[in-house]
Amino acid sequence: MTADLTFLLQAAADTAGAYGHFPGVGARGAVWIAAEVHLMFAAFVLGVPMFAVITELIGIVTKDPKYDTLSKEFTRLLVFAYSATALWGAVLVFFLTTLYPRFWNHMTEIFHLSMWIYVGVFFVESFTLYLYYYGWDRWKAGRAKLGHWGLGVLLNVWGTIVMFIANGWLTYMMSPPSGATPQGLPPEVSLWNAIANATWMPINIHRLIGNAVFGGTIVAAYAGYRFLSAKTDEERAHYDWMGYVGNFIAISTFIVLPFAGYYLGREIYEYNQQMGITMMGGFMSWLWIVQAVLIGVLFLAANYYLWIGMGRIPGAERFMPYTKWMLLVLVVGWLVWATPHTMIASREELAAMGGSHHPFLDVLGVMSAKNTAVNLMILTTFLSFLLYRRANKRPVVPWARSGTIVQSAMFGIAVAVVVGYGIAGYFVPDIVRIGYSVYQVLTVLACIIGVTVVDLALVRGAESRGAIRWGRMPERSQYALFVLAVTFTWLMGLMGFARSGIRQHWHVWEVLRDTSPFAATPPLGAAANMISVCVVIFLALVAFIFWLGGLAEKAVAKPAARA
Amino acid sequence: MWLTNLKVGAVGLLVILFYTAVAHVIPQLQSEVPQAVALGDDVSPAVLAATGEQVYNGAGGCTACHGLGTRAPNLLTDYAGQGPIGARCQQRLDADCKRYLHASLTHPGDSVVLPFANIMPDVARQLGDPRAVWALVAFLQAQGGEITVTADDVQSAAAREAPASGGGEAVARSATMDPRQLLQEHACTGCHAIDGAGPPIGPSFDGIGSRISANQIRRGILDPDAEVTRGFEPFAGMMPKTFGQQLSAAQLEAIVQFLANRK
Repeated sequence: MTADLTFLLQAAADTAGAYGHFPGVGARGAVWIAAEVHLMFAAFVLGVPMFAVITELIGIVTKDPKYDTLSKEFTRLLVFAYSATALWGAVLVFFLTTLYPRFWNHMTEIFHLSMWIYVGVFFVESFTLYLYYYGWDRWKAGRAKLGHWGLGVLLNVWGTIVMFIANGWLTYMMSPPSGATPQGLPPEVSLWNAIANATWMPINIHRLIGNAVFGGTIVAAYAGYRFLSAKTDEERAHYDWMGYVGNFIAISTFIVLPFAGYYLGREIYEYNQQMGITMMGGFMSWLWIVQAVLIGVLFLAANYYLWIGMGRIPGAERFMPYTKWMLLVLVVGWLVWATPHTMIASREELAAMGGSHHPFLDVLGVMSAKNTAVNLMILTTFLSFLLYRRANKRPVVPWARSGTIVQSAMFGIAVAVVVGYGIAGYFVPDIVRIGYSVYQVLTVLACIIGVTVVDLALVRGAESRGAIRWGRMPERSQYALFVLAVTFTWLMGLMGFARSGIRQHWHVWEVLRDTSPFAATPPLGAAANMISVCVVIFLALVAFIFWLGGLAEKAVAKPAARA
Repeated sequence: MWLTNLKVGAVGLLVILFYTAVAHVIPQLQSEVPQAVALGDDVSPAVLAATGEQVYNGAGGCTACHGLGTRAPNLLTDYAGQGPIGARCQQRLDADCKRYLHASLTHPGDSVVLPFANIMPDVARQLGDPRAVWALVAFLQAQGGEITVTADDVQSAAAREAPASGGGEAVARSATMDPRQLLQEHACTGCHAIDGAGPPIGPSFDGIGSRISANQIRRGILDPDAEVTRGFEPFAGMMPKTFGQQLSAAQLEAIVQFLANRK
């Protein structure tokens, strides 16, 4: 009894004043929404500048003004989005200080210096953005244009630094360095040790790529909306082209995102096996089935958009018969990827399955099958891009036929290697099988790089089978772009929940315990409700920003028209 | 225009609703938060085992590995023809079974069952309540064996060990940066000779810096089976693969640099 009483007193003493109350959704819900919406806007304002600076450079190199117009159009939206990002960041900080004061004290105790630096860099970043946007027309030619582009690069550099600093805080919560205590860090562990923790760099890389994908999908969705509401053929052609560019950037960067995910997962396992198991095989195991559903939709929507887009390219008819086979690979790959394997099951479910694993699905649910499936889906998507790109071109180089055969051979070898390692994975120990996934990934990357290099040389100076009829796209194609944007936004929310949820009842893993009423990580259904609320808030605000952008555009256009 | 807005909004909402529905259709699992177990001074073995079962299926997180047959040995059902854990433990150790089970929960690295890897966390640290650990022991003994955990075990553990869960105070891991101390703490010198002394189970640390690079040393610590030194093939697989989790990055580098400089 005495021990029980001591325990309760201890818990009460530690918990008193540690948490605040928020009406309605509760403290956790409030922080969840603020953090997630802030993160989505942060991804927007980090992803879109990447897009802007790339398209501006293409405009400089090709001297095609439409790239410059596109780049500026998106930078204008950034000005509004920055305010929203800062506002939600302030909301998050206020919620943390008032609702989780003990946790926030712990974080500021360790990270105060980096927080000051963060604010400083954010200031510099904001002013770089203003210079970049408002200096667009002033520095539009010659060396000044290059200087202006340099501002865009700087904007990305500042943004990346800001993100890396914030990533140090959140990854510290997942993988704090040895020696960390609720009181802070011991003298021999520096601030840099806390920032550059085990999962810092994997998260940095994953988010960097993720932001580029996100920027691409948002750009594509914006273009899709403007296409649907366009009044003239010229407008339709412009926004059709913009949608294609956005989708291209989103999918080409998305293809490498799973590899960054593997890296992050591996580091989580390296840091703490238990955390890795909780993530992949514990109560969170079903989350990956939901993730597979989302990623399957992303692959299907992106390919669908490309296949419809081939309808506006003269010469693409010759590739259309292949699309049904590519669809088959994507659907089968999707089904394999979404097959459950090592799941927490009740006694009744175990009895119904006749064991801990399903007798048939067991074979498809393992990583050998899943890695093979996803790599084949990536190769198929790359093939869709290749066919799209080649559709209206007739190569004139004398080695065109041989080049195409070499490209086909590269695809064939890549498929053979991926499938071969996939099958071999069933007959080797775990540690060897994990190594096989690296070979599969490297093979796919080598194939993509090799085929692209050959293709660039092969279509140099190629004859055109006819110009792409920009704007001649059925409306349903644009809805595929919306599906991509909404899906990727929801996927970000889901992965945020996964990353944060694997800490379970720890604010800082095995250092600072969550003793609030919301300590338990909620089940996926409840989490999905929260994710959906965040996505709706974010998309509604983005729509508002786009509308504001449209107003500004009209305001500029009217005086120009009068002049 | 309004029709377009409506259609776009509807598509977005439908997609969001679809994913929300998928997440609701699948099994709803929530993480369990360790709670202080309520055990009286005269707690019976049956109550202990019942409490242990709750911990086993809940906050202990045991079912994430035990019972799947791939990550850890089965405990509640037969393993390797020796019966469930209570039966096989008692047959082998009899009176010491209780101590063995307790030690395997609090120092799991000392009693890894081959061919499984040493991936189990310290359960006492996870639960933060020493009484819950004894309840778990009782539950495991009840799987085909006799419960020998007593109320005294529970109460003395509670009195001896300060509870950790309430305030979130966790046991700090070693933070030393002294490579020699780290080698000692992690029992490296139990297999690798240093300064001319020690068993030849693994390659000697003397002169290791002239034989292999710092990168190879680092890899050897993190992934010991990736490359087995010639002559030591019979001992392949013996070295734990968990130093990546046990050491901080700075500690790992301290060891790597220390060994790389031993030329």
